[in-house]
Amino acid sequence: MHERRRPMATVALVALGVVLILFPGCGDLSRDELNRGVESLSALAAQGELIANGVARDATKSTYPGCRSKTLGGEAEHEAEKLADAEPEAAVKAERNAAVQVAGELADLFSELQTFPGDEHHGALVEKHMGEVKEQADAIVARLTGEPAQ
Amino acid sequence: MKSILKIALGIIAALGGFLDIGDLVFNTQAGALFRYDLLWAVALGTLGIAVYAEMCGRVAAVTGRPVFDVIRMRLGFGLGLVALVASTVVNLLTVAAELGGLAIILQLLFDAEFSLFVVLAAIGLVIVVALLPFGGIERIFGYCGLMMVVFIATAIHQGPDWGAVAHGFIPSLSSSKLYLYFVVGVFAAALMPYEVHFYSSGAVEEGWDKSSLKENRLNAGIGYALGGVLACALVVVSGYLFHPLGVEPGDLGTVALPAQGAYGETGLLLALGGMMFCVGGAAVDSSFSASYNLAQFLGWEWGRYRGPEKAPRFTVSWLVFLFLAMLIVLSGINPVEITEYSVVFAVVALPMTYLPILMIAGDRSFMGGHTNGRISTTLGWVYFAVIVVLAIAAVPLLLMTNGGGG
Repeated sequence: MHERRRPMATVALVALGVVLILFPGCGDLSRDELNRGVESLSALAAQGELIANGVARDATKSTYPGCRSKTLGGEAEHEAEKLADAEPEAAVKAERNAAVQVAGELADLFSELQTFPGDEHHGALVEKHMGEVKEQADAIVARLTGEPAQ
Repeated sequence: MKSILKIALGIIAALGGFLDIGDLVFNTQAGALFRYDLLWAVALGTLGIAVYAEMCGRVAAVTGRPVFDVIRMRLGFGLGLVALVASTVVNLLTVAAELGGLAIILQLLFDAEFSLFVVLAAIGLVIVVALLPFGGIERIFGYCGLMMVVFIATAIHQGPDWGAVAHGFIPSLSSSKLYLYFVVGVFAAALMPYEVHFYSSGAVEEGWDKSSLKENRLNAGIGYALGGVLACALVVVSGYLFHPLGVEPGDLGTVALPAQGAYGETGLLLALGGMMFCVGGAAVDSSFSASYNLAQFLGWEWGRYRGPEKAPRFTVSWLVFLFLAMLIVLSGINPVEITEYSVVFAVVALPMTYLPILMIAGDRSFMGGHTNGRISTTLGWVYFAVIVVLAIAAVPLLLMTNGGGG
């Protein structure tokens, strides 16, 4: 349950993204689809922030953040792979690459939370970083939609 | 005094056992997506289940006939068989969803492999049913389900804009397919057919007669109304916390998060404990309902009160349904997805469950002086019309919204 995810996950995911850009795969990733994917990442980060807040305040049962982080971290990884795997429209390539990086960071943060579900210090750090990752995701959404970030 | 206490305990059990995984999933998602806008659909669904449960209980108390007996009598063998197949499929999916939900909650509490908890949950349910009498089963899950009151306390603690909450009770429709899908989901989650199958068969199990009519009215009226408050609280806490942050509660674990935010570990444990007993109780109710329907349709001896010796086929069918549900969950399908499909397909089966009840409860030759009054008749037919519309719209909306995924 508490297997430590590799800290290299971000690097690996970004590398995967770069490889897929150099050797484009099949399928199209439209602006709308990319937007939906990044919104999912933002939602995951928001939920991660709430869970990490419980850890930081010592206001949770450690099994809860442990299990939730495993599930949500898996979702972040899946989203990262999905985004990295798709061939984006030329106009949104930069946003796609940024989204893959955000997804990788998110997966790492959930991994951190899964490894230290009862550590208040780690909880506080993860909470702060989750907030930053959410801001990054919201900024990508803002660039994709042309609307200001929330 | 004794009868008042009995009625009060019945109301408490009805309140604690009101919610199931469908309510937990759909109401929390509805709050996250649409804030308080779908509270009216929760209230409408709650009134609907209260109206029909009262009718079912009354028919059972006056005639001694549970719902599926009535369905076969009114629809005949052919249509009755269609209703049996439809409700059995929906009930089986529901048992699987509840069992999977129970395993998820156990995993959140005790942290081990999901599949282990699926098997343990099924074994635990068999042990509870084997050891406790019918009334005991109903009460243990009902009373312990009262831990869900933590969601009402959380809503009060959050201090939402109560004006906006009140505004949510005013019915409104939108052209958004996702919104309409959640109207169907929230409404249907409150009106799952297994609930009336179980309620009426339970009335027979507990030996209700005409003297139980008052108890029936109060259980259905007050118990379900208070249960509806719990269902609304789920929407409110989710709308307050998740909606502004854009959190998408895609699984059961997220449901407990607002209680943790308000009351820390105690809130989290109360929420998970309450959810565990609600979902566990619903797993027993829905698996019993599947067996009740089969036994009543085929004319087998049935009833927990008869015991396995006197109702062997009923007992074996219950165990088979639980086993099949366990296999469905162990196949790896996400319990929340099973829940969404079971709720949406239940809508399609609803007219075949509710029409015969409405007809029998209004039949003077059958019910004597206990037929539907003007209010019950009007509400019954209005709800039936709504149910038919939703039954037609449910599957297209499920497909158009990709199961609520947008």
